[in-house]
Amino acid sequence: MSFRRITGSLVIAFSVLAGGARPALAHHSFSMFDQAAPITIAGVVTSVEWTNPHVYIELDLTEPVKGAKHWSIELGSPSILQRGGWKFNTVKKGDKVSALVSPLKNGDPGSLLTRITLPDGRVLGNGGPAGVGPGTTAPNAGAGASSTLGR
Amino acid sequence: MAATRVAIVLGVLAIAGVMAEAQSPAARNISGAWVPMGGGRGADPKIAPPPATPIVLKPEYAKAYEARRTAEAEAVKRGEPVATPAILCLPYGMPRMMTVASYPLEILQTAGQVTIITEAFSEVRRVYVDQPQLPIDEVPPGFYGHSVGRWDGDTFVIDTVGIKPSVLSYNMLPHSDRMRITERMRLVTPDVLHDQITIEDPVVLEKPFTYTLGFRRLPDYKMVEFVCENNREYIDEQGRVRMRVGGSQK
Repeated sequence: MSFRRITGSLVIAFSVLAGGARPALAHHSFSMFDQAAPITIAGVVTSVEWTNPHVYIELDLTEPVKGAKHWSIELGSPSILQRGGWKFNTVKKGDKVSALVSPLKNGDPGSLLTRITLPDGRVLGNGGPAGVGPGTTAPNAGAGASSTLGR
Repeated sequence: MAATRVAIVLGVLAIAGVMAEAQSPAARNISGAWVPMGGGRGADPKIAPPPATPIVLKPEYAKAYEARRTAEAEAVKRGEPVATPAILCLPYGMPRMMTVASYPLEILQTAGQVTIITEAFSEVRRVYVDQPQLPIDEVPPGFYGHSVGRWDGDTFVIDTVGIKPSVLSYNMLPHSDRMRITERMRLVTPDVLHDQITIEDPVVLEKPFTYTLGFRRLPDYKMVEFVCENNREYIDEQGRVRMRVGGSQK
């Protein structure tokens, strides 16, 4: 191997400390959502799609936000949400809810859930930490938890 | 003197006992559900996976890889996620499927075969035990290739070839159709599994590199189905990732 060949090589020094490989994101990154400027939207659920790769909640707002009366909320996957205490029927069409969300940076009325307040007052985040069993509510499953999970 | 001899004999017996334990059925029982185990700072050094070895690409591949990673980082800063195959709901394939975010995987040991099923994208690998590997050129290029495995003491060694180059490697690295993946799976405790993965590729890599994944056992976990049926993310004409809003088309 020539000197030139050696110097021309790229040594990829990944910042892998004791942890070995860094997990990949499952479907896409969060970068299209503005997590630095969360907003609260409230209204009536028009549909819940308990699907992969993501769960979606559609919401008719009581008061328009950013000029839109209808917003879409993206959540983690069913697997991730179950580990955070969700069930497929936790939220239903017709429920009145409010949600803290990160809106799309491009201005479209779509968002990523941080946490949702259900009609009975329960507050759920966007998934649970790795290895927590179904039915176990993560105490801190808000924006911080969702940013590392299931995407 | 007699006491010393007794101590030596007892010591030898103890070592033999440990070795027998390491190769006992329990040491080879890797069946069950496993969840990726976080490492990094604060991780227990006794069970944390060791760091990866340096990755050295050949110059012609290093340049393109570096340019792509820079472009991707800039796109992310603009709020545009990288357009990866996963955006289109394509499965990860080997070797990336072995750890996808915090999704569990399930290992099933049956006669002559070890089957690995991931929760994310429901990917399936079949590892044929104690069978000879095929020449690379006889394996149809695919997402999972052809895998054979054998037990080496307490370690299950898997050899995989036949991964198509369009299936990205570790950390989105490129690879050729000559790539060979060697895994050494071992229980470091009854409930912690390490998968030490070595990637060889004489076309793309200057030398092989090795990284280790850690998994924690999930007793009684029931795997959740994952069919990518409702993908609202799409890649627009400029190559940017967008989210369709306003409800699905169902």
